Amino acid sequence: MVLSFTLSEEGVAVLHDALACMFKFSDDVCLEAKKDKLILTTLNISKSAYICFTFAANRFFSRYHFEGNSQYRDRFFCQLYIRSLLSVFRARQSSGEGAGRESVIERCEVAIEDGPGKKSRLIARVTCRNGITASHSLAFEPKAPTHAKFDKTEATNHWAISSRTLRQLMDHFGPGIELLDINTDDDTRVVNFTCFTEKVQRRGANNNEAVLKKPLHTNIAVEMDEFDDVGVEDKLHIIISVKDFRAILQHAQLISGDLTTRYSNPGRPMKLSYNSDGVLCEFILMTVGEEDAIVQRHKNPRAKSATANAARSELDSGAGRASSVVNESQARNTQGKGQSQAQAQSSARNPAARPKTPPRPRQPGFDIRPQPNPPASARSTRSDSLFVGQVEDDQQWEPLDEEEEEAGNDRLEWNSNNEPNPSALRFSSYANPPAQTQPPEPEQLMSGLEPTQRLSQACLLPT
Amino acid sequence: MRFKTDLRNIRTFSKLVAALNSLEKIAWVRLDDETVRFTVIPDTGSQVWASLSVDLIFDSYHIQSAEPNNTINLELPLGPLQRALKSAAGSNQANLRLTKRDGIPMLSMTIHAMTKDGAQDARAGGPYGNQFGGGGHHNPDDPFGDASDIFQQESLELTMKREREKVITQDIPVRVLHPDTVETIMQPKVREPDVHIQLPPLLQLKAISDRFTKLAMTTSSSSRGGGGASQNPKLELSANMFGSLRLRLAAESLDITSVWDGLENPELDPSQLSIPLDEHPSTRFKQAGPDKWATVRVDGKDWSRVLSVGRLEGRVIACFADDHALILYVYVPHQDDASAEDVVTVSHSRGCPD
Repeated sequence: MVLSFTLSEEGVAVLHDALACMFKFSDDVCLEAKKDKLILTTLNISKSAYICFTFAANRFFSRYHFEGNSQYRDRFFCQLYIRSLLSVFRARQSSGEGAGRESVIERCEVAIEDGPGKKSRLIARVTCRNGITASHSLAFEPKAPTHAKFDKTEATNHWAISSRTLRQLMDHFGPGIELLDINTDDDTRVVNFTCFTEKVQRRGANNNEAVLKKPLHTNIAVEMDEFDDVGVEDKLHIIISVKDFRAILQHAQLISGDLTTRYSNPGRPMKLSYNSDGVLCEFILMTVGEEDAIVQRHKNPRAKSATANAARSELDSGAGRASSVVNESQARNTQGKGQSQAQAQSSARNPAARPKTPPRPRQPGFDIRPQPNPPASARSTRSDSLFVGQVEDDQQWEPLDEEEEEAGNDRLEWNSNNEPNPSALRFSSYANPPAQTQPPEPEQLMSGLEPTQRLSQACLLPT
Repeated sequence: MRFKTDLRNIRTFSKLVAALNSLEKIAWVRLDDETVRFTVIPDTGSQVWASLSVDLIFDSYHIQSAEPNNTINLELPLGPLQRALKSAAGSNQANLRLTKRDGIPMLSMTIHAMTKDGAQDARAGGPYGNQFGGGGHHNPDDPFGDASDIFQQESLELTMKREREKVITQDIPVRVLHPDTVETIMQPKVREPDVHIQLPPLLQLKAISDRFTKLAMTTSSSSRGGGGASQNPKLELSANMFGSLRLRLAAESLDITSVWDGLENPELDPSQLSIPLDEHPSTRFKQAGPDKWATVRVDGKDWSRVLSVGRLEGRVIACFADDHALILYVYVPHQDDASAEDVVTVSHSRGCPD
């Protein structure tokens, strides 16, 4: 037994939230245990976002014991699949109000076994309120965590604000935007949050319908007085990915409290952090470099990939530094670790040598935003009743769902007379443009990734 | 060319835009001294001609152009407008003006809003918020967590401290249309209707219509294997001058009808008619008795989209031109003046019913 700890009902929920947040960035998480803390870290596949959650041993856990062994004297580390951890810590929600309470997780005991001659396993024993105890045994990979470097002295710009306020402001941003520009104006004493996209417009688009297809351009001006501790260079524009920012705020508002940021210049990392008692959440995001953005805009005709890549300059990995902390006597596994670091480094240089895991297609929509279309289940239940109550429900006014039905019809049409149904095809392409444009995105991203990353590295080299 | 106005009745405006948006993504908007007109003309399906008096949705309205009546014609995407209005809903104040950004004309909406910085809001907002049984157990020991059972303390403290008004700017891309471009777009002329009748609650009518349409789609795909069912299902709508409305689905294997009785056939105002009331087709239909129906066939899916104007909560009068066209007039009540109404016209022309 290398490590064992017990989580309370709240602890399980907090850990689940943390993992759910990480899952929006990556498929796996590095667990690192020391005497006084448990650290979860992950790096997204394009190495543009690094997440680190630190749980204080004495405050977060009801019981925490780090034993270590000959192999892991000062710290233990391993890599796990987030998905499997999520299913362990997921609150068992049931439909009934009364029953819901019963099946809630009461506590969770986690033990990690590792060492020579032992099976490497994470064992989680979940005790529910209704008396049921479930044991999960998860395999893990011995892999040293990669820590992103962040130079505090360099990052002189900073501000803090209530994460809930910020989260609510994000609701004003419409769909189809990719980048968030945070800038300040000392004259008007405001901090601006501007969302935009770099979808390339055709030349002379003024007379083209394409103009009307541009997404909503949104700016939110927040008075500096509403911030704590603002210190930002005037007119500095810092650009990050909206998707990342949303994912962070989604989690931050659960933890509540203030979100603190620190950053320096475009193209340099930005750190966002917040904490509650016993949990410290830190995110390091690579900001879009000015050069990157310009180069992208001119070089890449495909706007989608351009923006995606522009936002994805890599973070410096601090793996090398981290490994130096490792005790000298652990020479025999540093070799293994060295390999994994080398792998990490090489995959950083060469996108082709990426870990085998394919990039998980991101969820197209965000949970915090109301969905443009009601979920299918809601629609079908609605249409099953002839008479609907007069309760105000705007979804009732939505036109009859087309795609659902036509998907079936179309296929039949096509098979029987080998000719697409023109009206239906036109219709569905009209009614559901996101479905048509979204799926190819990951591919574009991948194909577009390679050249861009090299370019961005080239840009970064002189600095 | 100048256009600047404050927004009022944002809810109504937002519902109108939502109703239009279900028929077509882009609208033509004509603004002048007295009226705002929204027109959507899909390639196929029903058109909407919505004419609103300026004070229904605008306040402190300023418009100026070189055209007669200071007319400005715009083409704008309804999705972003709807999104912007959603942002404006619940705001303290919002205005709209025509401007340019990077040389592209924009309809810029400026919204002054506060955030609701309450703990309950925040907790309910997240997908994981509900599973915690409402307790502030997330952070049992933090300074805010102490007030886990008395959330007011927390929100009050934050609000008192420094809640400030935020200024949100939503820029909607628009195209300014030349008067020549819009000159050719004409509201379709339809002959005097045979029957005019006030529709039952649209939500009810829509629920049943959608049900019929779904049934038609199910039966056509299962019985014919899709062979000849390339057309969307057609519903048959009929009305007489004796307060009855009939909705019918006649498919190969089924024939179902819903009938509403006791609806109102509003009196026509003779002064508004171009022909004497006695010669009006509706008079002939009335004389022919309750078995004289005016019938039109509508595309089930298009009809479903049309019925989404029901969200405006107005009185809806349907005018049937037998075997030819159906026009819905939606009277939008003014919030502050119950007697004033604005009309949204949905025309549902069926030149050659099949």
